[in-house]
Amino acid sequence: MLTVFQRNAKKYCDGVSRRSFLRIGAMGVAGLTLADLLRLEAEAGVVSSGKALINIFLAGGPSHTDLFDLKPDAPSEFRGEFSPIKTNVSGMEICELMPRLAKMADKFSLIRSITNTYGDHSSVHTQAGYSKDELKQVGGHPSLGSVVSKFDGGRGEAPSFVSLMGEVSPGFLGPIYSPYQPDGKSRSTLSLSRISADRLKDRSKLLAQLDDLKRDIDTSGAMEAMDSFQQRAVEVVTSGRLADALDLEKERPDVRGRYAGPAGRRPDSENLLLARRLIEAGVRVVSTQWGGWDTHSDNFKTLRTQVPSLDCALSGLITDLSERGMLKDVTVVMWGEFGRTPRVNMTAGRDHWPRVMQAFVAGGGMKSGQVIGATDRYGGEAVDRPVHLREVFATLYQNLGIDPKRAQITDPAGRPQYLVDGREAIRELV
Amino acid sequence: MHERQTNMRRRDALVNLLRGRRSLRMAALGLAIAGAVAVRFSTLHAADAPATPKAHVAQDPGPITALDIAAGSTDEATAAGGATAHHAMLRGPDARMQLVVTARYASGEARDRTADVSYSVSPAGIVRVDPSGAVVPLADGTATVNASADGGRRASTTISVESFANPPAVNFPNQIVPIFTKLGCNSGACHGKSGGQNNFRLSLLGFEPAKDYRFLVEESRGRRIFPAAPDQSLLLQKPTAMIAHGGGERMKKDSPEYRMIYRWISQGMPYGKETDPVLASVSVFPTVRRMVDDGSQQILVVAHYSDGSSEDITRSARYDVNDKDLAEVADSGHVKMTGRPGDVAVMVRYQGQVGVFRATVPVGAPVDHLPAAKNVVDEMAFAKFKDLGLPPSEACDDATFLRRVTLDVAGRLPTAAEARAFQADPTAAKRDACIDRLLASGDYADLFAGKWCSVLKNHRERETYQRGDYLFHDWVRQSLLENKPYDQFVRELVTATGDPAQTPAVSWYRQVKEPTEQVEDTAQLFLGVRIGCAKCHHHPFERWSQQDYYGMAAFFSQVGRKEGAASDEFRIYPKRGEAVARNPNGGATVKPTGLGAKAMTLTPDEDPRVALANWMTAPENPFFAKSLVNRYWKHFFGRGIVDPEDDMRETNPPTNPKLLAALAEHFAASHYDLKDLVRTICRSQLYQLSSEPNQYNEKDRQSYSHFYSRRLPAEVMLDAVDQLSDTRTPFKGMPVGGRAVQLPDMGGVDSNFLQVFGRPAGTSACECERNGETSLAQTLLLLNSGDIYDKLSGGCASKLAGVDPKRSDREKIADLYYGAFGRPPTEKEVATAIAYIDRNHEADAKAPEKLAADRKAAYEDLLWALLNTKEFLFNH
Repeated sequence: MLTVFQRNAKKYCDGVSRRSFLRIGAMGVAGLTLADLLRLEAEAGVVSSGKALINIFLAGGPSHTDLFDLKPDAPSEFRGEFSPIKTNVSGMEICELMPRLAKMADKFSLIRSITNTYGDHSSVHTQAGYSKDELKQVGGHPSLGSVVSKFDGGRGEAPSFVSLMGEVSPGFLGPIYSPYQPDGKSRSTLSLSRISADRLKDRSKLLAQLDDLKRDIDTSGAMEAMDSFQQRAVEVVTSGRLADALDLEKERPDVRGRYAGPAGRRPDSENLLLARRLIEAGVRVVSTQWGGWDTHSDNFKTLRTQVPSLDCALSGLITDLSERGMLKDVTVVMWGEFGRTPRVNMTAGRDHWPRVMQAFVAGGGMKSGQVIGATDRYGGEAVDRPVHLREVFATLYQNLGIDPKRAQITDPAGRPQYLVDGREAIRELV
Repeated sequence: MHERQTNMRRRDALVNLLRGRRSLRMAALGLAIAGAVAVRFSTLHAADAPATPKAHVAQDPGPITALDIAAGSTDEATAAGGATAHHAMLRGPDARMQLVVTARYASGEARDRTADVSYSVSPAGIVRVDPSGAVVPLADGTATVNASADGGRRASTTISVESFANPPAVNFPNQIVPIFTKLGCNSGACHGKSGGQNNFRLSLLGFEPAKDYRFLVEESRGRRIFPAAPDQSLLLQKPTAMIAHGGGERMKKDSPEYRMIYRWISQGMPYGKETDPVLASVSVFPTVRRMVDDGSQQILVVAHYSDGSSEDITRSARYDVNDKDLAEVADSGHVKMTGRPGDVAVMVRYQGQVGVFRATVPVGAPVDHLPAAKNVVDEMAFAKFKDLGLPPSEACDDATFLRRVTLDVAGRLPTAAEARAFQADPTAAKRDACIDRLLASGDYADLFAGKWCSVLKNHRERETYQRGDYLFHDWVRQSLLENKPYDQFVRELVTATGDPAQTPAVSWYRQVKEPTEQVEDTAQLFLGVRIGCAKCHHHPFERWSQQDYYGMAAFFSQVGRKEGAASDEFRIYPKRGEAVARNPNGGATVKPTGLGAKAMTLTPDEDPRVALANWMTAPENPFFAKSLVNRYWKHFFGRGIVDPEDDMRETNPPTNPKLLAALAEHFAASHYDLKDLVRTICRSQLYQLSSEPNQYNEKDRQSYSHFYSRRLPAEVMLDAVDQLSDTRTPFKGMPVGGRAVQLPDMGGVDSNFLQVFGRPAGTSACECERNGETSLAQTLLLLNSGDIYDKLSGGCASKLAGVDPKRSDREKIADLYYGAFGRPPTEKEVATAIAYIDRNHEADAKAPEKLAADRKAAYEDLLWALLNTKEFLFNH
């Protein structure tokens, strides 16, 4: 089953493999007293919980004018090889390689005009909303999932933030808010493999007999929190609930089949299924990535294999969430580092284009079936309704029940930081 | 003993429940309720519910002996003298004033009665007073306001109203800008952020009124203001939500704020004359108050201007409380206590000026069994206990002391042998001797080098950093080991010159590259001041301006950097030239200036960093010694005397100022001797208190009346697990047997355990990067990870399982207990453990080959249980 987590070691244009080492992170949960939590919630303006997010990172930066913003009327050196097709939403067209998504365009929206993105191969800005260099002095801006972990305070039955894409920076919140990475050692803690359930029971009984330090010394509530986490850990291990969520063999074959594209099952696509299963098990934010979009050469050839697989997996996820009634609560966002050059280069590729980027958004109770913003006739600049990267983040936070206008976290230098500086949720969506 | 406590708890609970109903005057009803309470309490008691004794026993303060009324003045004497001494003035129709009525009791106590008296005004029609003591003008004239408390005590004051019908010209900085601050318009979340909100920008918290004037009056072709019909101005229509406003309704139409802005517009938007008075300071009444734990206090705030005039600004100021566990404060300046004893400060902010109201909530219990004070720590802490009526817990036992001090000073558990020897040592001074022994050991240097390396950002950003990181760590560790005076340590760091092979301290400049970062880290690390805010705007809670920030930045303006001997190494040198920094707000150049000190004139040949080190380490520097002793205090007590420990400011006062001052003085007098400081802290009775609270101090979280237990830090925890299981975790780049506390830098090893338990990443100068919280990932790791299983099966379990005629299971169990907890097991614990080990004894007797395996498994289980107990995971 570990194959699920093996990512293809994709090379980027700078020759560096971004495949992360199999590092295992902390679960983003922490022991706070109930009073702390209530206060945090009140300060954050948290209105509801139980909302979740799947953040899909198309690593390398997909060509926006070949996926969701085609330019059939542009000169051929811009236009590229693909034609748009109509979707079930009048006036909304997407790439011909995505017939399945075209049939369910009423269930998602497209943002075609994200500006203020960054030009480097980094997942930080689509995890945190800021570049990796901002606030570096105090550790950087935290990822959205780390922020949710902090506000969640570990009340859930599962880690709040799971990464299927290696390390995602907790920023200035510190390592304890790193995402849980269910690969290697860390995954093995979720189920009993080394000892039998009976032996764990015996051990737990012995622990209960011996663990008799007077609890009235626990005036901070930390021991109480530890007790509660110990109980939950035993529950997680004996029930195997989280381990099961990570085991795709436990999924119905026909449902699993939906995610498989022409190339069959691949780790990138199965991670979307995994994300759904983790959220059903109580996780609130799942970050995952799908690589292979850094098409400096042979853009069209690459996309002919990439896009149909993406079409299958993403439409499978949306269908799945919709059938389970989860689209109301679960937001899906999919994007890359940046867009790609409108003009095709000499090697039939497209290069980095941070001036404009697109995002696919669905669920989370947002209004769907819309196209927000527009680019010029070549796809080079946002000409209508430019959307700031952080407006998308404000929307994601709001969908998760965290008020981005009010919630603040004090950074290690003592400065109160808003989660997203002064950006409001996208009014067309919420 | 137990019965006596229970009785006291019962009485306290009754008192508290009854107090909640004290407004009910009818005796019969009172009796009925008392009966009901007694029943309820007995049910509680029968269920043996956790007794949460209310700390404070309300004392009847006796009859009121005097009633004082303060109006328009924060002068204590005026308030006490009432009407005769002061004549309060309301100028203009929108002026407001807050009364504060204080009752003085026979017991000597003073309590706020502002909302608990009845007011009358004569003659009528001049002012109106509402039940909360807020006064508004009605017409020009002079009136006497009377307050009367039940019991007949009265107080009165005279208030005049002038310019009611013909208000004077509005002054924009003094009267309009504060409205934006109070309503939050110019906050960082709204129009105050750089770039503003929806194209309308205000200076953050109104620190730059001239810019605000320009934004409002001149920008956007003046569309924000409509002088011909002021009420049609966007400036009035938006915040009243007459037209859509993203920030919602911020003020009511016809509120005093609304009328003030209206009047300003109708007067033609005057900015104010150059001769108009400017704000000089704010003052607060009262400044200090002892309160009952559910009490409240109205505060009164007055602005003082350059011409000597003053004005009540209670309703215009902003309030924040530094410890929300203790009190909350309303926009009106009304402070309500939450029922927890201790000290709390309410910060009052008004246009860059700050004031503080400090409240103390005593417990009021007898404090009469204090041990003899060992040193300055005890003297100051015990005085606080007496002042608060907060009896401290008993002294901890020897085993607890040994474990605690070994963890805190040496970053490890005591070995079983050490624990046994300490237990057996009959000498009276064995605790002091133990502290000295630990301080002399390399373990002390290891632990504290790790602590310093984290905040000094000794972080392996790239593999090429390793050499510099190791040299830097070695320099820090060596400095601590040989007990280099702290001032010298800081001087060597800040003035580091050369390359890392000769001067390892220069590596700090590799991690802390920008002058702004150097300023901010220096201030936070060595002065306990978080000055980062002042980089871009006036510090919102402090007196620091951008001028102060860039005065500090000038010290780092001449730091030169050349490529070093190896890649990613640098040679640091002082550039020749005049040291100045440029204040981006206005562009003025600023000379090197210590915080709150005079500007320095340095020659081009002087290294300004030397001047900085001289200023910081001078005996009269107000920050240097305090900041360090507070940082170390937090290490040993879990909470700084000022907390967070690196955020010292007037508006975040120490909970025990005398203790902080005395300890800082002691530290400076010792020539900044760090080991002496540790010794002084650890020898104190205070540090050696039990963590078990008594019925009075359970709620105390800031006076150290009992030891505050805390989870072991990541590295110490990993080493402790290794020690208990007799295994070693290998670390890349470390010799065999190296321990986690000895890791030279952050980011150099890849350890899941250390990350999950919150070892800092070394990217911040704040100690807060180390996280002592608990999490599900931690418990999963301890309960069910391969790493732990390997340690349990690969360590001492086999040896323990072997049947040894010279060493019984009982002895082995005792050794484990000494090793894990520093104490012998109780009889019950031995019995439990032996029963567990022998539980398959009979079955195994028939299958001897299974015996060994079962015994090993049983010892593994025992080890597992021990390392998952709170007694193991916490320092208590």
